[in-house]
Amino acid sequence: MPRALVLFAHPVPESLGAAAHDVVVEALQTRGWEVDDCDLNAERFDPVMTAQERRNYHDTAINAAPVQPYVDRLRSADSVVFCFPVWNFGYPAILKGWFDRVMLPGVVFTIAHGKLAPCLDNVRKIAAVTTYGSTPWRAFLAGDPPKRLLKRAVWGTVRPDKIRYIAQYDMNNITPDRCEAFLARVRKEMEVF
Amino acid sequence: MTRALVVYCHPQEGSFAAAVRKVVVSRLRAAQSEIRVRDLYAEGFQPLLTQAEWSGYLDAPANRAPVESHVADLEWCDTLIFIYPTWWYGLPAMLKGWLDRVWTPGVAFTLPKDGPIAPALTHIRKLGVVTTCGASWWLTQVVGAPGRNLILRGCGFLMAPRCRKVYLAHYRMDASTPQSREKFRARVARAMARF
Repeated sequence: MPRALVLFAHPVPESLGAAAHDVVVEALQTRGWEVDDCDLNAERFDPVMTAQERRNYHDTAINAAPVQPYVDRLRSADSVVFCFPVWNFGYPAILKGWFDRVMLPGVVFTIAHGKLAPCLDNVRKIAAVTTYGSTPWRAFLAGDPPKRLLKRAVWGTVRPDKIRYIAQYDMNNITPDRCEAFLARVRKEMEVF
Repeated sequence: MTRALVVYCHPQEGSFAAAVRKVVVSRLRAAQSEIRVRDLYAEGFQPLLTQAEWSGYLDAPANRAPVESHVADLEWCDTLIFIYPTWWYGLPAMLKGWLDRVWTPGVAFTLPKDGPIAPALTHIRKLGVVTTCGASWWLTQVVGAPGRNLILRGCGFLMAPRCRKVYLAHYRMDASTPQSREKFRARVARAMARF
């Protein structure tokens, strides 16, 4: 059974982001995925990289030790789905910290002679399901940092076969109809993921 | 007189970022600026926007209570300077959390009933970033410079319309040499003197 790691980074259960997360998990399960549902807030993931971790960052023999369970979960996944809100044109700190501490040299990439090479061969599909307060136009003007980070940096480092970015913009002015439409879109995307 | 807030985020004492911070602060002082420094790691800033805070997110001014002193600094300054290492093309989680929790409605922006988001940090006229990147300049451009855009554009949108911006990065930090670091320090010193 293929395994999906779902990384959920919204603190509020009644948010649209949380509803989208529920849809992701359910749709993946009905399509035969085994879902590792990782709610970073509920698991009290600590996003702050310590001085010691920074010192050991490039030492691949020991750098993963402080977050070993998270590295193991990533290594046993065939796909990763990120479910998060965009705040200030970036990931919530808890998700950014997961990148800082878990997406390590020796886990996701290797550096040899100054060249980056991918080394996370198990993850073949990646998706992001996200909500923005900003309008699409404003996000475009800002260079859409969260989208580019995923579709360029993560894509380039992991080299998955498939990558999807499913976003609902303009949450500040959203109507119930558009919430429903977004959830339907998330479901459809996940059913063919 | 300029009122400069320096937001510093690096876990390690004795890091290159700490050296850069010294340069920034001494240059600002030489220019007769009033300076406040927030060292997020040293003060053990808690970067998580919690469920309770999110529930009261739109409730200004009550929403500033958990981070009152940070809001006061942000409202006090007219010059804002970030010093941090770029990790995964962006801000360390600690610094991102500072934005998540301090840059709230009523502080950084307002959300009028009908109409777009309105800037509320228009008293900030200068925005500076001093950072170190593992990636090369070229690779950073290919990725679309998310860290730079997040601050200069995303945060910059909320400041004075003609806010002056400066972005100083030492790229390929892991391949840096004493010469390249010295050159960068000198560049920071020049830029801060002009700032």
